[in-house]
Amino acid sequence: MGLLKKDKKTSAHSSTSPCADLRNAYHNCFNKWYSEKFVKGQWDKEECVAEWKKYRDCLSEHLDGKLLTRILEVDRELNPTKQADPKESS
Amino acid sequence: MVKAYKQEHVYKHPWERVSAASWRKFADPENKRILSHILEVDTLNRKLDTETGKLHTTRALTIHAPGPWFLHRIIGQDICHCVESTVVDGKSRSMQLTTKNISLKKFIEVEERIRYDPHPENPSAWTVCSQETSIRIKPLSALASMAEKVEQKCAEKFMQNSVKGREVMERICKYMEAESALI
Repeated sequence: MGLLKKDKKTSAHSSTSPCADLRNAYHNCFNKWYSEKFVKGQWDKEECVAEWKKYRDCLSEHLDGKLLTRILEVDRELNPTKQADPKESS
Repeated sequence: MVKAYKQEHVYKHPWERVSAASWRKFADPENKRILSHILEVDTLNRKLDTETGKLHTTRALTIHAPGPWFLHRIIGQDICHCVESTVVDGKSRSMQLTTKNISLKKFIEVEERIRYDPHPENPSAWTVCSQETSIRIKPLSALASMAEKVEQKCAEKFMQNSVKGREVMERICKYMEAESALI
């Protein structure tokens, strides 16, 4: 029982998330960008955009809406100064 | 009832490497065995300010946290969802992570703040990590007497896990050091 709507019996140690492959692809891309570019001061351009879009689309299809709402509420508590993402304010 | 804990640790690795290791901490398959209480990590939001070099990221963590039996009876689950919010300032070389639970908020609130900064004595080669954890148990009248014990258990669990987390961080740093030496 993760963030996902459907409650499947899952082994506690392996991920069965339908977005796992897209997530790995994005996180790999992000980690590479972070250590090879961002920390060297090359932050003038967003990267891994295609990977992020695919992963995000998958998440928004599969995420439990109620849980997501609670997550975003807590996120706002943690970042009171951060501007709300227009996509998320409903 | 609030309990707060502070810990500090010095990594003999530059900030660039340590902060990169922090991103890999939960995702690396080899570390999943050690940090087996972390079941899922999903990135929900990211924002890069391309002018100031500030990176904001929000991740959702799904954690396996079996509590004492009576807590389990009340709550009926041993999975906990947390939100981790990270700000990396590339210019000033700082990374700040704040994690809060969203599950079981009626009973307990845990907030963990971690900072990675260049070590003042050796800013180009060492990194200091400071970690603050605060645990607040909501004193429900029927549970008040047990609450203290739960708090203690919870704190112990957190300390154990943060030691494990540190070991994993040290290992990823070593691995990344070896990797960068090959290039």
